[in-house]
Amino acid sequence: MCGTTDGESDRADRSAHDKDQDQEPGREQDKDSDASGDDVHDAERAQFSALLEDSAEDLYDNAPCGYLSTLLDGRIAKVNTTLLDWLGHTRAELVGRKRFSDLLTVGGRLYHETHFAPLLAMQGQVSGIALELKAADGSRLPVLVTSVVKTGTDGQPLLIRTTVFDARDRRAYEQELLRARKEAERAQEVAEAERMRLHQVLAILQNSLLPPALPEVPGMEAAAYYHTASADQLGGDFYDLFALGDGRWGFFLGDVCGKGPEAAAVTSLIRYTLRAASLHAGDPAQALDTLNAALLERYTGNDPRYCTTIAGTLTPRGGDLHVTVASGGHPPALLLRADGTAHYLPTPGGMLVGIMPRPHFTPATTVLRPGDTMLLYTDGLTEARTADGPRYSEEALHAFAGTLAPAGAQQTVNAMTGLLESFGDGLDDDTALLALGIPAPDTHTGGAR
Amino acid sequence: MTDLHLTTQRTPAGSVLAVAGDLDHDSAGRFRGAVALIALQPGQLLTVDFGGLTFCDSSGITALIAARNQVHEQGADIVLTEVPAVTVRILRLLGLDQIFRIQPVPGADTDPVG
Repeated sequence: MCGTTDGESDRADRSAHDKDQDQEPGREQDKDSDASGDDVHDAERAQFSALLEDSAEDLYDNAPCGYLSTLLDGRIAKVNTTLLDWLGHTRAELVGRKRFSDLLTVGGRLYHETHFAPLLAMQGQVSGIALELKAADGSRLPVLVTSVVKTGTDGQPLLIRTTVFDARDRRAYEQELLRARKEAERAQEVAEAERMRLHQVLAILQNSLLPPALPEVPGMEAAAYYHTASADQLGGDFYDLFALGDGRWGFFLGDVCGKGPEAAAVTSLIRYTLRAASLHAGDPAQALDTLNAALLERYTGNDPRYCTTIAGTLTPRGGDLHVTVASGGHPPALLLRADGTAHYLPTPGGMLVGIMPRPHFTPATTVLRPGDTMLLYTDGLTEARTADGPRYSEEALHAFAGTLAPAGAQQTVNAMTGLLESFGDGLDDDTALLALGIPAPDTHTGGAR
Repeated sequence: MTDLHLTTQRTPAGSVLAVAGDLDHDSAGRFRGAVALIALQPGQLLTVDFGGLTFCDSSGITALIAARNQVHEQGADIVLTEVPAVTVRILRLLGLDQIFRIQPVPGADTDPVG
C-alpha cells in the first residue's frame, strides 16, 4: 500500500519537473506496452475461438447436460449424445420413433400428461421439474427437466427444447435427508419410550417404598395418603402399618432428609430395618435405637443421612387401643378426640435418627377410645406455604384439627388432603399422612361423624 | 422466597458466617460450600449468625449437621446465634438442641411444641 502511494507521488513529481524532456519517450513507452498487451490478448482470443468455433456441434452433443428437441406432438426430433449415453439408446432408436413421455417412468408419464405438458402449453416454459427417466437397461435416472417452447416469427409454437440435468446426486442428498429425518424421528421415539419406561420404574420404586394397601385391623379404622411434590423426584416420606404377631400392631411414619434416588435408597433401608426391629423390640424407642445404629453404620462423614420418624405400637384392650409412640425428631402426633377436642401427643427429647451414636428416645403413651383418631404426618404439611405467604404452622394445624374433631380416620385424611390441595403450588415438599382410629359407636364402617 | 445471602468474617475467636434469606433445598448447597471454605484451628469457634434467616427446611438442617461434623473434625466448635423462634422450635423438635449450642433471638417465644 505504502509503496504504491510513494510510486505514484514519485511519478507525479517527476512529470512536473521533467515535463518537456521526458514527455515524448514516456508516451512512446506507454504505446509500446499497450501494443504488446494487445498482441497477447489477440493470441489468446484466437486460441479460444479456435477451440470454440469448431465445437458448436460438439458442445451440443457432449454438453454436461442432456439436450432434447421434440415436435409439438412430443415426437423426438433431435437428441444429444450425452442423453443417449445416459439412457443407453442409439439416436436411431429415438429420433422420429419415440416421444419424450416414452422415456419417462409410468408415474412420470402421468405427471407429464397432467401437469408438465399443460403447464408448458400455457406458460411456454417449465423449469426444474424432477422426473425419472427409464434407461434401456431398465435402470432409472433421476433428472431435473426444463423445457421451453420455441416459437416462429409469427409467434406460432414450432418445437420444444428440453434440457435434462442428472439429479442423481441431488436425489441421493434428498434421500439422505429423508433417512436422517426418519432416524431422528426413530431416535425421538426411542427416547420417549425410554422416558416412559423410566417414569414407570420410578413409579414402581416409589410404590415399593409404601405399603400397597393398609391391612384390615379388627375394630380399627386406618387411612393413609401420600403426596409427591414432583412426579419425577422420588420422595423420602414413608409409612407402614403391620401386625406384630401377638395381637398387637406396629406402625411408623417418617421423612428421610433429601430427595431423589439417594433418599429413596435410604427410605428403603429405613422401612425394612424399622419393620424388622419393631418385631423384636420391647417398645418403639428400642426399635428407633436399632434404626439409629443401622443408619450411623451405613452413612458417615459429610454425607449424613438421617430421618425423622414416629414409630409406635397398638395394643387392643377392651374396646380401646393402648398406644405407645416414640419420636425421633418428628412432629408430634395429633389426637382428635371423640369429645371434639384436638391436641398434640408430646414426644419431647427425641432426636433425628441417624446423626448421633447414643440418642435418647423416650416413649409416650395414650389410649384411643371409640371415636378417637390419631393423625401422623410429615412436615410437608406444617411447612407448606399458604397462599397468603407464611408457612402453615403447627398452631394452624392444631386449630384446623380442633374444628374437624371428632372425625374418623378416613374423614381426617380426606380433610387434610383437601387442606393440602388448597395450598396448591405452596406444597413444595412431599407429604405423607397416616390416621388410626376407633370408629365411633354409632357407625360400623367409615369415619365417625 | 428470599434468596440466600452468605457473608463470612474472620474473628480472633474463629469465623462468623452470617446467613440471610431461605436456607432450603435450593440454597443448602451454597451454605455447605461457604462452610467448606472456612478453616478453623482447634479450640476456635464457628458462629453461624441466623439473624437474617427467613426459612430453614430439612435440607438446611442437613447442611447444619454437616457443618457441625466438619467443625468438630477440625477440633473446633459451632454455635448458632440470633436464631429465629420458629427455627429454634424446629431444632428442639428435631432434638438438635442436644448437640448444638443455640442462642435464640432475645425475648422470642420459644416454648416447645405440644
